[in-house]
This record gives sequence, C-alpha cells and structure tokens, in this order.
Amino acid sequence: MRSCSHSPLGIEHGIIKVDFLPPPLKTTDMEGKEEISDTDSGIILHSGPDSPTTVLKDVITHTRAVKLKHQSLEDRLQLCLLELRKLCIREAELTGRLSADYPLLPGEKPPQIRKRIGAAFKLDEQSIGLGTKVSELNSVEAELSLQLQIFEAARKLCNEEHLSKSVKRSRLQQCQREEKKVKQLQESAFQLRLQHGRSSPRPGCVNAPRVPDQGTSDNCSLSDSAVLDEVEVISQSSQPSIETPPPEGPANTPQPLPGPSLTPGPSPHQSPLTTPTLEELQSSFKVSLELEPPPIEHSPWTESSLDQPYQKIKRKSRSSSCKSSSPAVTPVLPPVEACYGGTHLPVQVSPHLRLCHTQSNSAPSTPEMQIRRHLSLRLPKTEPSLSLDTDRGRPCVPRRRLVDSMVTSSGDLPVQREAFGNHIYHSSSETEDSSSEHSAPSYTSSPGREVPCESPRQCQPAYRPQHSIDKPHNNHGQLAYPSGPGFYLQPPQQHPSFHRGYYDDGVGYLPEDMARLYHGLQPPCHSSRYDYWCEEAPVHTQRSVRLLPTHVRVSRAPSLREYSHHTSRGLPRQVVNEELKSWHQRNQFRPRSLDRQGAVRVRNIPGSESPLPQHHSYHEQAQRQVFQRAANMPPVQWFTEDDSEMASQV
Amino acid sequence: MSFIPGQPVTAVVQRIEIRKLRQGEHLILGFSIGGGIDQDPGQNPFSEDKADKGIYVTRVTPGGPAEVAGLMMGDKVMQVNGWDMTMVTHDQARKRLTKKNEEVVRLLVTRKSLEQAVRHSMM
Repeated sequence: MRSCSHSPLGIEHGIIKVDFLPPPLKTTDMEGKEEISDTDSGIILHSGPDSPTTVLKDVITHTRAVKLKHQSLEDRLQLCLLELRKLCIREAELTGRLSADYPLLPGEKPPQIRKRIGAAFKLDEQSIGLGTKVSELNSVEAELSLQLQIFEAARKLCNEEHLSKSVKRSRLQQCQREEKKVKQLQESAFQLRLQHGRSSPRPGCVNAPRVPDQGTSDNCSLSDSAVLDEVEVISQSSQPSIETPPPEGPANTPQPLPGPSLTPGPSPHQSPLTTPTLEELQSSFKVSLELEPPPIEHSPWTESSLDQPYQKIKRKSRSSSCKSSSPAVTPVLPPVEACYGGTHLPVQVSPHLRLCHTQSNSAPSTPEMQIRRHLSLRLPKTEPSLSLDTDRGRPCVPRRRLVDSMVTSSGDLPVQREAFGNHIYHSSSETEDSSSEHSAPSYTSSPGREVPCESPRQCQPAYRPQHSIDKPHNNHGQLAYPSGPGFYLQPPQQHPSFHRGYYDDGVGYLPEDMARLYHGLQPPCHSSRYDYWCEEAPVHTQRSVRLLPTHVRVSRAPSLREYSHHTSRGLPRQVVNEELKSWHQRNQFRPRSLDRQGAVRVRNIPGSESPLPQHHSYHEQAQRQVFQRAANMPPVQWFTEDDSEMASQV
Repeated sequence: MSFIPGQPVTAVVQRIEIRKLRQGEHLILGFSIGGGIDQDPGQNPFSEDKADKGIYVTRVTPGGPAEVAGLMMGDKVMQVNGWDMTMVTHDQARKRLTKKNEEVVRLLVTRKSLEQAVRHSMM
C-alpha cells in the first residue's frame, strides 16, 4: 500500500514535481499522514476489516486508475513547463536577465540571452538642436548631453556582474574617461553661459539675492532683542497696570550685546530718562512684528537646588519685580519693614518684637492710641542701636523703656475704660470678617497640630504645657507658634508671671510668626490680618492690667505692673517656668477652670455682680457661637472670638 | 502635556506634601527644579512639549523629603501651596518653594505616567 501511494511521486521530474503537484494528491498525502499519526501504522488502518483478497483486487484497480491519472498529469506538466520557458525568455529579453524560475532539464544549458545593460541610448533631439540656429553654447550643450548619456552607459557597463578582471578594468577606465569628458563639457558650458549673460535661468549659478537677506536679518535680530528686553520686563513685573512700555529697553538696545542676562533692567520708576528712545523702541517693535514672530531668547535652562535658602542672585530688576508680582507678600509685612527701612536690623523679628512691647504695655484701645502705636512703630528708626539680641532674654535697656511707656499709658486708664468696649467690638468684627476663614487653613500647617480638640476651650489647658515646655528649646520659635496665638492672648489674664516668660523667651516673635504664617499660606486678601494681630494683642493685655487685681485667682500672683518691674530687675526664667508648670498642673486637674475664669472675667468687667448666672449664660452663648462656626476653627480664632464676644456683651 | 496659551489647562495631578527637613538654619526640600518662563524651554530634557515653560523637577535627592513625599524626577510642578507654577519665572518658583517660614509645601504635580494611568483606567 505504501509503495502504491509512493508510485506517483517516484517520477523523474523530482525537482519540479513539488510545484506542480495537483491538489488531490496533496490532500491524500496529508490524509495518510494524519491517519498514520493517529494510529501509529497506516497498514493496520487500511487492512482493518477487509479480507486479504478484496484488498488485492482493490489495489490492482487502484494502481491502474492512478497510472492513468499520472499520465494525464505529466502531459499537463509538460505543457506548463513549455509555457514557463517562453515566459522566462520573454522576460529575459526585456530585463536582460534570465529569471531563476527558468525550468532547466538536467544537463541543459540556459539559453543565451542578450544582456541589457543600459548602455544604449537615444540621441536627444532637443539638445542636439537640429534645425535651430547653431551657437557655440548650443553645440556645447548638445555635446554635453550626449556625453552625459555616454557616461551613464559606461557607468552601467562598469557595474555589470560576472566579468573577467581585465574587462572590468578596461570598463572602469573607460567610465572614468567619460566622466572626465563630462566634467570638461560642464565647465565649458558653464563658462559659455556666464559669457552669454547672467540672465540664465539655470539653477545653481547665483545665490546673490540672498545676501542682503542676511544683512537685514542681522538688523532684526537686534530689534528682536530690544523687544525681548521689553517683554521680559513686563513679565517680570507682571503688573497689568504697566501700560506704557518701560523705556529703558531701548536704552540698552543700541549696545552691541544687549543680552537680557547682562542688562540690569531698571525699575519702571526710572522711566523719565529716555523719551526719544521710546519711539525707537516702538519702531523696532513694529519692525519685528512685521517680520516673523520674534525668537525670544531665554536664559539657558538651568536647574537650582532647593536645599539652599532662597537668595536673590539675579539682577535687581528681577528681584524687585518678584516682590511686586506676588500680591500677597507685599501687603502683609511692608508696613513694618518700610518703617524700618533705614535701620536694617539683623533679625527680622525685632520690629515685631518691639511692636509688641510698645503695644502691650501702652496698651491703648482708643483710636488716638492706635495712632500713637504707629508712631511707636517708627521709634526704633531713631534708635537703631536697639538690637534684638539685647532684647531677648536680657531685660536691659528696652525693658526700661517698656516700663516707662507702661507707666505713662497707665495714666490713661480711666479714660480707656469707656472706649474699651467700642474698640473691642471693632476688632471683633474685623476678626470675623477678615481672618476667620483664613486662619483655619493656616493653622493646619502648623506642626503642633496633633493635639486634637473639639472644643477649643477644653483644649486650652492641653496646649499650655506644650508651649511652656517647648519654649525654652526653641529659640526661633517656629514650632511654638501653633499654640502661641491662643496662649498669647490668654495668659496675662490669669497669670502675669507668664507674661514675663513670654517675653523673656523671645516669644516676641510670635506675632511675627503669625504674620509670616498668614503671609506665606494665605495668598489672597489678608491685608488686614496683620493689623488685626497687632491690635488685638494690646487689648487683652491691657484689659488684664485692669482686671487682674479684682480677679480672685490672680490675687496670689503679682499684677502685671508689679510684674513688669520684676522683669526689669530680671526675674529668673526658671522661676517662671516652674510657676507655669504648677499652674498648668492645677489647670489639668480642673479642665473647666478656664470657662469659669472667663465667666469671672465677664462678671468683673461690669463691676460687682454674682458670678454664676453670667457664667452660665455666657458659657452657653459662647459655645453656641463656637459650634455654629466652623468646626475646625483653631483655638486662636476661638479665643479672640471669645473675648470679643465677651466685650460686646459689656 | 500640551496646552494652548490662554486656554485652561487640563492635567492629571498628584498632591504631594513635602515636609521640609530642618538642618540648622536651612530647610531642605531635597529636590531641584528647572524651567520657568524666563528659561529656554527647548533645553528642557523632561518636557514633552518643547515650548512648555513650566517648572520641572530635575533632581530628587535619594532619601530626601521630596522623595519620601513621592516626588519624582521629571514631574511638572503645577502649583505650590495653591500658587500657580505654570507661568512663573524660575526665581519666583524657587522663592515660593523655599520660604523659610513654611515647613510644609504642598505641590500639585503632573507626570506622564499619571495621565497614562488615568487614561488606561478609563478605557
């Protein structure tokens, strides 16, 4: 059976057979393979159920049929081969190469085919110029075109494969010769064209018209840089209010290298220098606008590490513009800084510190006193020798002054008593309007926020130890400020001695920190915040001055006035801290003591009434207030709220 | 991330909160920035759109606060503490980031992988 199936394949046309194998054969072969692979032996499969005799008969008839089929297929194959030969020869005539598909009988040589190398060419009628007037140029051009074709033919001959070495060498030489001729002809034709005039439309002769272009481009690059300067200035100052282009730009432009990095762009205030150059600038601006969009040159792309503190390395114009462009930074601090512009105290803290001193002691709440406060702000300008170092920790000269001012202000006390309520009310409204929303997010950034507090009033004691413990460690006070504000307003009322520690440890930075806090974190619309802090503080201390003597609790502690004398004498810090600690311990045992104290205060302001009813009413009211407001309101806010509310009750 | 000037920018951003590390006087952020409207944006190796003048994170110190917070090299800074960083000069950005009185900076950054992740999740 196997031999049978093999017999049609065993023909002499072994090579071509595969290509022309008719489909039926293929499929049977495939089937056979499949069967074998299924059963491991084709024999068993085919001889399975039948008897041997029937198998033999079948084989005989089968072979006959297969032979017939084979014959017919062979005839067909011959026909196809003949056709293929014809096609291959035809293809070879056209391409010059005999296709690899050409069926070759064993021993037969491939037919000789005329190679097509491309060396043949037709003469270009136009270039030869038959019938046209014969000029020298025409003849040369005709010759050139002819030579070009000859060269091309030689090159192709050179590229022909299967050549003997000698032939190849000779062809190569011929090709080089032709190439040389072509070049000579091209040269002569070029010279002739030059003689005949430059009007020749042929490309590649002149690019003269481009030269003036480059000249103008030089000019416009100059003007571009002028424009660039202007653009930079505007972008730096980023103030929409600048309508007239700053005329300093043109002043720089005439210089050969007006690179933006070299010119110290003056501030817009110095504008009156150059009026004529403004027009110049505008004209140059127009010029550049007419041309392509100005290629803005940037300073090279640099990176800067953020691990170093910010320093204004750049030119002045940029730094100044930085200031002006950040709307939130300027409104906050400048008043104080402006006042101290001449002195330039080494530490920024000092102005605020001084501010607190004067305020907290002169402690006015009437409008006139506010004015006076502002005046006192400017005081240090005349006394720049007072530096922070002497202020901090060592009560020396500044303390003296402090006491003095206090004494003077204390004389006003009776008068202030009347105006007191009004001012408090005013400040409270300010509080609600300007800083109630803003203070919350600013507080969240404080590192000491971990202390959870639902009702700030109850949390207040918890803050105290933290503060009093922190303080000695933090000279800079950055960490202390979270609890600071609330503390700052509160303590003098209960414990004047704390007041001393407060200043001694340099808590004078507190307001400054607050201001910074706002200034940094609350970009928009907090211009009044700083004022608020400055005004609020004196109010409380001032009130404490008045209230303390009547307060039950405070009676065992020295009054603020006494206290300030103490400070001038230099009360040791440890004493204060210890006192603070003990005080805090007492407070911890009585978490609600604060409420009571607040109530007492309220009671005391009007004069002599029974504490209890007021206490309850006030407490309830305050709490309602608190809960109506934002839940996450920081204690700072809360306390000011508390106080102001209290005052308005009065 | 390309954008048309004057048109609102749409970007997938990640919030990154960096707690500055205090080293003596200095506060350390642990990364470097490049770019800004005053710098040649064509030289920015991180931007896809070579006309983008934004602020890019060029370097992140290993183990530094920025890396801890999840900042990555090549991130584009969109905001710092709510301040826009897409149209600022290099110095303005630096100033905004290195404020001495801020111990924490909150950044909004965008990066290619973020956009791809979102796009992938939407498909």
